[in-house]
Amino acid sequence: MMDKMIFGRYVPAESPMHRLDPRAKLLMVFIFVFIIFLANNIATYVVIGAFTLLILNMSKIPAGFLIGGLRPVFYLILFTFFLHLFFTKEGDLLFKWNFIEVYENGLRQGIFISLRFAFLILITSILTLTTTPISITDGLETLFNPLKKWKLPVHELALMMSISLRFIPTLMEETDKIMKAQAARGTEFSTGPIKNRIKAIVPLLIPLFVSSFKRAEELATAMESRGYRGGEGRTKYRLLKWESKDTILLAAIMVLTVLLLLLRS
Amino acid sequence: MKLRPIDLTLAGMFITLMAIGANITSIAPFMMVGSVPITLQTFFAILAGVILGSRLGAISMVGYTLAGLVGIPVFAKFGAGFSTIFSSNFGFIISFIFTAYIAGKIVERFKSAGAYITASLIGMAVNYLFGTNWMYMAFKLWAAAPPAFSYKVAWLWMMAPLPKDIILAVCAGLMGHRLERTVLSKGQFKYLKRAS
Repeated sequence: MMDKMIFGRYVPAESPMHRLDPRAKLLMVFIFVFIIFLANNIATYVVIGAFTLLILNMSKIPAGFLIGGLRPVFYLILFTFFLHLFFTKEGDLLFKWNFIEVYENGLRQGIFISLRFAFLILITSILTLTTTPISITDGLETLFNPLKKWKLPVHELALMMSISLRFIPTLMEETDKIMKAQAARGTEFSTGPIKNRIKAIVPLLIPLFVSSFKRAEELATAMESRGYRGGEGRTKYRLLKWESKDTILLAAIMVLTVLLLLLRS
Repeated sequence: MKLRPIDLTLAGMFITLMAIGANITSIAPFMMVGSVPITLQTFFAILAGVILGSRLGAISMVGYTLAGLVGIPVFAKFGAGFSTIFSSNFGFIISFIFTAYIAGKIVERFKSAGAYITASLIGMAVNYLFGTNWMYMAFKLWAAAPPAFSYKVAWLWMMAPLPKDIILAVCAGLMGHRLERTVLSKGQFKYLKRAS
């Protein structure tokens, strides 16, 4: 469980997708989310499907992980499919059995919308599967840097995210420890009606708050004593490098946009 | 407003607490009632607003949302990743930002225990209003749901967890008040709160 906590959903591997700059991948996903709504006929869905497959293939992520990513929304996709299949009553009647009627447009819409959903999930999963949380955070920080002018605390947010990444396993362990300690003192955690269980969160959460305040305080003291003065002029250990392959990725998504605009009906 | 290092670390801790609250059942199995897990996200979102104040609380919840999006497993069921945006529950995650902000605003003005509870309940109401509307929109937009999926159906869906959330919200208000009166106003944590 701890590995899962530290790496998030990142799958380490050597692939062209892994080596791309996180900013390029972020921009690609951002544009993709918008242009997928341009697709509205078979030609456009074929083009966008080919693009998705290409990206998937380039990422060298084992299929198991991709299916795992689709699982939470699998029922939603199925639900969408059948919703359209049975309730869109346009076009020619294809199939009729008792009260079930399937129309041509319903089938088409069902397939299209579920595909759209699947492509969206796959492309966005690829981003988090091929990039570590830390480098996506770095990428976001640089991309959002211009927003500092409007007093958006970009650097501070990135730092908070890194702090949480580091402390999630620690506080999880702490919660477990507190629970055992309180149980040893006689707190009834495991049984009883709902009322008692909700009451039992007080002896669990008050020590958790105190412990996290303590850690926050220690960390702040450590930061101050090392001369932390905010993001202004701070240098980085890991530098992001924009290379020609990142430009190629962006060019590819631009080409895809143009193709979709030309082919859509 | 310049953020002090202690503000940053506290906000970071609240992101962590949200992550634990979302997955509390994996550590504390007693939070499972029947087969329904009780999550403490709304609970911690309210407390973030109440303890950190409206602005920092909201910033910390923005951090929570972003942390989940970039792939740190902070959402329920250790979920994470950009694909969460297309889940119908993403509205609830976004709404924590407003929950924290509004709960914080109320508590900044009124200090009684009653105000804390009211702030929590209003925060929870914001969570429901925003989340359910988002869910409805998400079904309409991403899934292009036909008219059979009406606005009323979306709300009926959300009625089931309402009672437990009301109880948890009251609990959050009481705990916020208690923390404020005891842990945060005496002794070593006194300076955690900014003088406002």
